[in-house]
Amino acid sequence: MILETLEEVDATLFAARTGWAATAQGMCRGEVCVPAPGALRADGSLDVRVAADRLGMPIVHDEAHRLWAVGPATATGRAISTVVAADPELLARDGGPFRLSSLHGRKVLLVAWSSY
Amino acid sequence: MVTVALDIEPAHAHQWIDAAMLTHPSLIDTTHVTDELFGFVNIPMAVWIDEQGSIVRPAESASIESSPLRDMEIPAGLPERLDRMFREIKKIPDCAADYRAAIEDWVANGADSRFSLDPDEVIARSQPRGLDESRAAACFELGEHLRRTAPTEVERGAAAVMWWREAHRLHPANWTYKRQAWTLVTTPAGASENDLMQGPNDVYVGNWLDDVIAGGGGGAYTVTPQL
Repeated sequence: MILETLEEVDATLFAARTGWAATAQGMCRGEVCVPAPGALRADGSLDVRVAADRLGMPIVHDEAHRLWAVGPATATGRAISTVVAADPELLARDGGPFRLSSLHGRKVLLVAWSSY
Repeated sequence: MVTVALDIEPAHAHQWIDAAMLTHPSLIDTTHVTDELFGFVNIPMAVWIDEQGSIVRPAESASIESSPLRDMEIPAGLPERLDRMFREIKKIPDCAADYRAAIEDWVANGADSRFSLDPDEVIARSQPRGLDESRAAACFELGEHLRRTAPTEVERGAAAVMWWREAHRLHPANWTYKRQAWTLVTTPAGASENDLMQGPNDVYVGNWLDDVIAGGGGGAYTVTPQL
C-alpha cells in the first residue's frame, strides 16, 4: 500500500487495500484477529506504524518522493493468512473496475497469466 | 473462469485478450497486487475460490495443456543461449493433464472433491512469506507507482529500476516481478510483442536463463501442484 504519510491514515482505505480492518479486537481479516492496542485512534484513523508492526508488515520509504509502501502481512509466515479471498479492484478489458466479489455464489478459477 | 493478466501496461494484455475473443471476465492487474494477496509468483498460476468466497486451493502452477516445447526436439544449430533455454524449459514439470482433471473434479463435486482443501491446508500450502518477501512486494509497488507518477520521464524510469532491482534481490523466486521488469528493457522499441527471451541486459543483474539455472533449473521453476 502506497502512503504519503504514516500519520492519521484512513482505516477504511487501509482495510480496502490490505484486507486488514481495525476493530475493537485488533487488526482483523476474515476470522483472524491480531491484537494491536493503539493502532486505531479515537478519531477513527489508523496508526500505521503500530498496525504494521503487529502484522509483520515492513514499511519501505522513498525519501526523494516522500512516499512509503507497506508490505503484506507476514504474521502467519505464509502468503495467505485466511482463506477468505481478497477482493482487490482489478481492471476489466473495457477499462472499468471489476471485483471478484461480484461472482459470489459461483466457483471462481482465478488464473494469472501475462504477456511476457 | 476468470483470468488476470499481471501486466503493468494494459495494452500489452489487450491484444491477447482480443485475439482470443474471450467470454469470461478477462482482467488486468497493473500493480501485481494479486501476487501479494493470493501468492502468485509466476505465471500461469491459479487459485480456486468456492461459492462462499473461500480459497480452497492456494496459488500453484496452472497449466492445463502441455507445452509443445516439451516434446519438441531441439533443433541443431540454435544459438547457444536459445539452446540452453529450450533445455531448461523441457525440464519444467508437466502436470497439465492431472491439473485439468482436478479442476473438472472440483467443478463436478465441489467441497466433496478431494482436491478441495480445508482451510488449514490452504494456508499451509500457500507460498512462504517472510519479511524479505513482504519487503519485495512493497519495493515492487513503489517502483510501479513511481513509474507512473514521478515528475519527469527520467525520474520515472530511474525510480522504477531502483526499486525493482531491490524487489528482485529480496525475492528472487518471484518471477512476475523479474519477468515484468526484464521484458520492459529487452523488448525492442516498437515491437508488437513482448520479448520472451529476457536475456542479459545493462539494467538488471539477472535475466531469465541465468536466474532459472541459479534457482535450481527448469525443474524448480514452477510451483508444482500437489495433487
